[in-house]
Amino acid sequence: MNTAISISGLKALLPFLIMTAAAMVVMLGIAFRRDHRFTVLLTLAGLALGGGSLVFTPFAPDRYVTTLVLVDAFAGYYLALLFAAAFAVVCLSYSYLEIQGGHREEYYLLVLLAVLGAAVLAAATHFASFFLGIEILSVSLYGLTAYQRHRDQSVEAGVKYLILAAVSSAFILFGMALVYAEVGSMEFARIAIRAGAAGGALLGTGLVLIIVGLGFKLAVVPFHLWTPDVYEGAPAPVTAFIATVSKGAVFALVLRFFGNMDIRVGGALFLIFTIIAVASMFFGNLLALMQQNVKRVLAYSSISHIGYLLVTLLAAGPLRLNASAFYLAAYFVTTLGVFGVVTVLSTRDRDADKLDDYRGLAWRRPWLAGVFTAMLLSLAGIPLTAGFIAKFYLVAAGIGSALWLLVIVLIVNSAIGLFYYLRIIGAVYSMDGPPGPSMPISLSGSAALGGLTLALLWLGIYPGPFLALIGSLMQTAH
Amino acid sequence: MIPLSWYIMLSAALFTIGVVGVLSRRNIFIILMSIELMLNAANINLVAFSHYLQSLTGQIFTIFVITVAAAEAAVALAIIILLSRNRGSVYADEFNILKG
Amino acid sequence: MIHQIIFLYFATVILVSALLMITRRNPIHSVLFMLLLFFHIAGLFVLLNAEFLAAVQLIVYAGAILILYLFVVMLLNVDQERQSVRANRFWPWVAAFGVLIAGEILLLISRSTFPGDAGKTMATPGAGVMELGQALYTQYLVPFEIASVILLVGLIGAVMLAKKAVKE
Repeated sequence: MNTAISISGLKALLPFLIMTAAAMVVMLGIAFRRDHRFTVLLTLAGLALGGGSLVFTPFAPDRYVTTLVLVDAFAGYYLALLFAAAFAVVCLSYSYLEIQGGHREEYYLLVLLAVLGAAVLAAATHFASFFLGIEILSVSLYGLTAYQRHRDQSVEAGVKYLILAAVSSAFILFGMALVYAEVGSMEFARIAIRAGAAGGALLGTGLVLIIVGLGFKLAVVPFHLWTPDVYEGAPAPVTAFIATVSKGAVFALVLRFFGNMDIRVGGALFLIFTIIAVASMFFGNLLALMQQNVKRVLAYSSISHIGYLLVTLLAAGPLRLNASAFYLAAYFVTTLGVFGVVTVLSTRDRDADKLDDYRGLAWRRPWLAGVFTAMLLSLAGIPLTAGFIAKFYLVAAGIGSALWLLVIVLIVNSAIGLFYYLRIIGAVYSMDGPPGPSMPISLSGSAALGGLTLALLWLGIYPGPFLALIGSLMQTAH
Repeated sequence: MIPLSWYIMLSAALFTIGVVGVLSRRNIFIILMSIELMLNAANINLVAFSHYLQSLTGQIFTIFVITVAAAEAAVALAIIILLSRNRGSVYADEFNILKG
Repeated sequence: MIHQIIFLYFATVILVSALLMITRRNPIHSVLFMLLLFFHIAGLFVLLNAEFLAAVQLIVYAGAILILYLFVVMLLNVDQERQSVRANRFWPWVAAFGVLIAGEILLLISRSTFPGDAGKTMATPGAGVMELGQALYTQYLVPFEIASVILLVGLIGAVMLAKKAVKE
């Protein structure tokens, strides 16, 4: 295989180069002019440019750049999704940080770098790019989670995330070393071939260690313990970032890495993933029922959503990539929407994470309550929303591969999930809320929420064109 | 001629010591150093495999791992300083604002 | 034979200093045992014909990262640490678990065969550095650049978190 980088390879790396350049420009911009709005505009321009460059990027099924990065349509789709989600997060962050004092500009720098790490993950086909991508993402997130240095809970969340993410990275690394010992290569394609044949003890142990590490990053049961604490302690827009960009990128990597392997029914990998999926769905939903804090509810709900998503990994056939692509898009839109509402309601002193903060919201801020309700209903998977269509696709993919147990568990859990989403919605429409709106919602916050609502309606009511797009992109992917 | 299995045993033992350190110590500082132990265990493995497989990939990967460890240590120690400045304590079991 | 004795020496020191590192009460002692450990790992790298990595291990790990740790330990209150409890209340269980896992791994490894045992190893000592550089700047150029980005992340994150808050 070609080892040097050609001109066409550089063209394929265009989105990555633009994101790196954007980080540099923002850094220099901060040095010259320390202004919140200016920095945000630069960051948004960088993300928009990165997203726009995807149009000119020559995606091809075999567009390997030196065996480490594969810029195909699969990577292109997830890059677009990650950039769009980061765009929304930056808009929300502006409204969140504008009311806070102090230096806020470095925050956006870390967001841009974290997006770069996520983008590398989405295109990685080699352990080196896998490890570096996941580390850029995690190290940026340590800083972002502990960003509010004056709040004890933010720092505490930062420390918890730091320790668990660092330990999980060490597990992944050790697993990679063992896999390398047996396969003699770090390329995903060769590992997949070797794993398809009867693998030895080292390969098996290595893969299990990698699954443990990735399980921490994805926050699936039994590696989920950090999730609620970090979700609660981190600033609301950062929580939105962890829930969407970070998990989405890691899931894209999981699809790429394990998707090539032959996960047979009855095999060890199949069993492991089935147990993880079923446990994540049940634990996520049942524990969410017992929470009083909205951010913690959303943390447990995200655990169960990743559990649902794992069905696509286990399913066979071409439909599964389409299903996971659409599910992640719908999950991104709704999660960003919900956290967007939490963000714009947060004040200078604390995040709006108590259930009481939402009591009677419908009478104080009807529009916001409407958006919140729509997003929660979509997370619950009520018909006519994006979440329903996404779940329908998951079930279709599962039935197509005769994964009856997973499909039944998924449907049962969707019913359990309804309870706690409806409990929040019930609080929003209750009559005994505190009176009067406290302050107006910033323009960037309402713009982001408006855009997300439009996306939700589009995906939920008229998903045809988007599904066709996903179909044509994913057809060439594998 | 040293058998490859010796290296794997050494690195597995080192990794296990690191895991035990992470799980049992209270001082976050020592927890972070235990994580460094785990990374070093993986490095020994990578370099040994690189040697026995006659491929440079493992050595190059180790360079990346050391880079990552440096960046991670910088941010981690910054968070520790923040923590001791805010609370005057660096013990993992004194984190109780966020109930888990 | 001489190689095996050297290996056993390095391995023994590595394991003993790792154990001492995680059990010492004074963090400064832990850092110093860590230093000893890093030196001996560098020795192992030389044994494996990876001289460049041995140098990197000493310069970056022992020289830079560990010094950073040492600085932070000095900033923190060491006296307080001397009087407090070292481990959390689960430590006997964790230690037993660790011994169990380690024993299991040793048993597993001693029973399996490895691809490297065929006897082939890397070329002559010292010859690898040029190949390493060539691979790093051609095939691994992309991750090399990405690795530079991660240093930037570390820089920004550390400065952002550790600087004193500005008064408004």
